[in-house]
Amino acid sequence: MKVMFSNISKQYKGKYALKDFSAKLENGVCGILGANGAGKTTLINIFVGILKSDNGHVYINDKDTKSMGKHFLSHIGYLPQYPQFYKNFEVIDFLRYMCVLKDIPKKQGEKRAKELLEVVNLSDACNKKIGALSGGMRQRVGIVQAMLNDPNILILDEPTAGLDPQERIRFRNLIAQFSENRIVLLATHIVSDIEYIANQVLLLKEGRLMKQGSPQVLIDGLKEKVWMVTATNEKMVETLQQYKISNMMRDHGKIHIRVIHEEKPDAHAVNVQANLEDVFLYYF
Amino acid sequence: MIKLIVFEFQKHFLKPSIIVAVLLFSILSIAKIHSIQNANSLFSSSNTTPTWKGLYWNLYEEFGGPITNEKIEKLMAIYRPLENQTADRTASSDHNPDSYTGGNIYMDRNFFMWNYVNPMKYAYDYKIYANQVVSAAESNMDFFESIGNTYEYKKNAVIKERFQERSITIFSYKEMYHYYVQYDFSAFLVLLICLYSLMHVFISEKETDMEMLLLTTKSGNNKTVFAKLIASAVFVYMLCSWFWIVDFVAFSLLFGSFESASTPLYALEDFVNSSINVSLSQYALLSGLIKTFGIFVFSLLFLLVSCFFKNALVAFIVSLSFMISLIFMNEVYMGSGRTLLKIINPFVLVVNRELFRKMEFVDLFGYPMIHYMAAILLAVAWGLLLTLGITVFVKKNGLSKGAKRHAIMDL
Repeated sequence: MKVMFSNISKQYKGKYALKDFSAKLENGVCGILGANGAGKTTLINIFVGILKSDNGHVYINDKDTKSMGKHFLSHIGYLPQYPQFYKNFEVIDFLRYMCVLKDIPKKQGEKRAKELLEVVNLSDACNKKIGALSGGMRQRVGIVQAMLNDPNILILDEPTAGLDPQERIRFRNLIAQFSENRIVLLATHIVSDIEYIANQVLLLKEGRLMKQGSPQVLIDGLKEKVWMVTATNEKMVETLQQYKISNMMRDHGKIHIRVIHEEKPDAHAVNVQANLEDVFLYYF
Repeated sequence: MIKLIVFEFQKHFLKPSIIVAVLLFSILSIAKIHSIQNANSLFSSSNTTPTWKGLYWNLYEEFGGPITNEKIEKLMAIYRPLENQTADRTASSDHNPDSYTGGNIYMDRNFFMWNYVNPMKYAYDYKIYANQVVSAAESNMDFFESIGNTYEYKKNAVIKERFQERSITIFSYKEMYHYYVQYDFSAFLVLLICLYSLMHVFISEKETDMEMLLLTTKSGNNKTVFAKLIASAVFVYMLCSWFWIVDFVAFSLLFGSFESASTPLYALEDFVNSSINVSLSQYALLSGLIKTFGIFVFSLLFLLVSCFFKNALVAFIVSLSFMISLIFMNEVYMGSGRTLLKIINPFVLVVNRELFRKMEFVDLFGYPMIHYMAAILLAVAWGLLLTLGITVFVKKNGLSKGAKRHAIMDL
């Protein structure tokens, strides 16, 4: 499965939400990383067809999605941002409803829903009302509905927003599990969501693609650019004003500052291994 | 599609709050019917003595059914002495246990006058009245033909056709129908339930952020909109049927009779000039159907209004304002001769007795159309326009607005 975005642009009131966005995606987890307002949701909405781009095309296996009509929808599974679903529906009824919407035959849908509920560990909750579920459980229902039609492309928009650490890790593992033989497009501004599971990362800033590559390639690009500086209180203020700081920690009266800079910021600064968070900070 | 309709119905209408509202409002409606019976019926304990009811039904065995000269003579043989004795109001009003009603002679006279003599006289005279109308229509036709006024000619031809061979040959108990055809309170309750229930049909998708998800499914666009409309229609028809049945049964039980089903509608004095030739039971059914259609047009209006808002309360208030305005407009024009302003309002279908009580016409390109037909056609036009508005607006703005909103949040 291949997805190609070609020169996608979208603007509102003269301001670009997305500008000349082009990228190629292949099977695996693809993280779209960007600050709030970077254009992630706009890109996803254009991709799933609920928003028209001003320019550009999206291709699936070299076929323009515009020419695919409704058939295109059978390729995708989508989990929008902050879904509430229907509180008075039981989980299983909601999934049955989604099967009807996705034109999945009853028996097949029923079987698939039960299998997926098993995978996400929600079999016991299948007769619970959605309104009675925790945020994490609701998100798991969300990914189940997205997976009902066994899509080639799974699109998740900020799926871990508002989840506690345990649920976040559980959800991350599910994404990795579901990424076999399909593209998982995961939009987030939380670096840790994609750091360990993404095969490639798209860095989006103010509607433009800043960088694309595997996490390791992006991290390698920061080689010799991340430094650990040990400072006093007086020096800390100066360092904070001069450099991009990715972390700061007090330890036994000293302050360890993680600095991102092209050159060694201090004679005693020690070069350290970069991580994806440093990459994020470097470009934003 | 059927599955989708079932799910939409389950999603929006099988809610405990709606079921509770239906039950409570049904009780309220029954209570209102009870109060009507209690305040107006000649047999209610607050108006007359309990003997009236027993006496009426005893005499009904004798005088009810086909009106014959023997029955009339027998009735007048009882009534005339009572009338003569009370004519100069000098008869004793003392309690007389041997009187028919167990009260006094005045009560006896009133009993017979109100329950038997006047209704039977109206029934007996109706044929003569109808013939007079036909004769007048015929002479009008001749006149308008001579001056070349084809519109008025056709109008009188319709009147003639409607009144020809009208007569009331059966004497029956009609008190229940008299109040039943004037009862509108339950329609108002149904409108309120519709308003409350339908507000969420489109808004719930926005509130739950499901609008985006729906658009990414094969049946989530037009099909879902139509499923919602059909589910709403089914709900409105079920709700109306329930209330109309409750009304009819409550009226029949509280007034103590299922009589008069086959009596013509014009046997009710309010409908002396009725534009339709149907029986009372047929009218009950027809009126229920037209009321339901009127309420459905209102429901479409509520649905359209709800498409414009994300907040159900605001949509509720705006829809309620529209509803009250239309009710007010109906009240203003009800008794007036401004037929078009009357029938353009779909509320006229909800309180539809005004449409059937008398013969009024609307000029449709030179053809005199009876105003109930025009009102129904106009309501159909409203219904189609509102449905079109909903489908266009939901598709074009309502749902894609969601994506736009999210995209703007991206900026």
